[in-house]
Amino acid sequence: MVASSDDIIIKTIARILVPFIQIYALYVIMHGHYSPGGGFQGGVILGASLALLLITHGYAEVRKRVPEGVVILLGSLGVLIYAGIGLICLLLGGNYLDYSQLSVILNVDPAHARSLGILGVELGVGFTVMAIMYSIFFDISTGGVLSEDQKHEEKLEGKK
Amino acid sequence: MNEFFVAVGLGMCILVFLVLYRVIFGPGVFNRIAAISAIGTKTLIILLVLGYVYNRVDMFIDISMVYALLNFIGCIAAAKYLEMER
Amino acid sequence: MEVTLFIHAADDAFRILENAKAQAVGLLDTATRLTSDTRWMEEKKVKSILKGAEETRSGFQNFVATFVMLMGFWALLSGKFDAFHITLGVICSLIVAYLGHDLLFANVRVGDGRVIAQRFLYYIPWLLREIVTANFHVAYLALSPEMPIDPQIITFRTKLESDISWVTLANSITLTPGTITMDIEDREFMVHALDRKVADDLDTGEMEDRVAHIFMEADHIYIQDVLDVSRIFTELKRGM
Repeated sequence: MVASSDDIIIKTIARILVPFIQIYALYVIMHGHYSPGGGFQGGVILGASLALLLITHGYAEVRKRVPEGVVILLGSLGVLIYAGIGLICLLLGGNYLDYSQLSVILNVDPAHARSLGILGVELGVGFTVMAIMYSIFFDISTGGVLSEDQKHEEKLEGKK
Repeated sequence: MNEFFVAVGLGMCILVFLVLYRVIFGPGVFNRIAAISAIGTKTLIILLVLGYVYNRVDMFIDISMVYALLNFIGCIAAAKYLEMER
Repeated sequence: MEVTLFIHAADDAFRILENAKAQAVGLLDTATRLTSDTRWMEEKKVKSILKGAEETRSGFQNFVATFVMLMGFWALLSGKFDAFHITLGVICSLIVAYLGHDLLFANVRVGDGRVIAQRFLYYIPWLLREIVTANFHVAYLALSPEMPIDPQIITFRTKLESDISWVTLANSITLTPGTITMDIEDREFMVHALDRKVADDLDTGEMEDRVAHIFMEADHIYIQDVLDVSRIFTELKRGM
């Protein structure tokens, strides 16, 4: 259970910066083909923005926006998108992750279909990386314990 | 114009080495954290100077923005950890 | 007959004096109520600001304002303006604005945004000039052989009200070389200054006045005691 910081300067600056950091992370993911970036880098920056919100505002604020079930869901959703796109390409009659086959569904020429396919898998990678980074940070900082009552119960169980 | 930027970059490198003294010999951990944060700001300028020298500023601006962000978050995380440790 | 008229006149005069006294008493009551109300409302506002964000704008207005700012930031970052990238930008801005719409504009009063932004832009050159002047002074202090520094901690109470103005003042003090804001606790700033001259520059309060001018705060009348009411009434009557 991470406590909220009681310093008003850091709280105000963090809450103003977090939306801009998230937009910057999404920009890095979407422009992976043009400037340095891509899926993994954007996912790390998204995870860092959630970590910043966690440190400065405490666990209650972050749980309002990203509940624990949603974090795990996002992690699995990213892998599903990645594997799913590959499988669709397989089902449409090409190799696994052969994006040019997607031009049948999307009504564009194969070169465009490749570009869109890569964007899709980058999005999937970004979601998974964000979820796992936030989850690792949260688990290390609280030891997996979610509230004070649970800590108390575990201590009692250990004594028994 | 290139020579001016290279001279600025070298000046920043010398400043980084001066601050490195505090990272190595700083008595206590707070000195080291503040010194690493200061090195981060110098690194930003060195990255931008490299961008001008290689004539691809737009790429290096993205990288330096990410580094500034991570420097900031790292400093706050280290401070929070030390506060909880006490 | 004249006596009756005189008695009537005295009666009327007495009644008028009674009315005047009742009005004066009513005025004093309103004045005391206003004073205590003002102080109570001020304390309540400070408490609610310190507790968290005040709801001064509706959620939808916040959402739209956040969406516009994030879209502008996206357009600044990505220089490509074809339909595909702009659609991507709109979708991303919508998602981020929905998730964090109460983060960016938590304490701003309705309708203030444009004026505050313009005044902030006029504040920045003055701040840069202050930074350069203080830079020269601190460089002279640090490079002279006997290093005449005199570190001290100053505490002062501020007249600013919202947390954004506190943060702006604290950041301006820290950006100026020679002073660092250490803590803000319950409207008291604790600032570490390098020597007496820099501390005196801070104590004049010019930076605080300019920051209050940006955010349009500290420009209302504080009713300290009842005697202030007459002055305020004359001002209001002149306005009417």
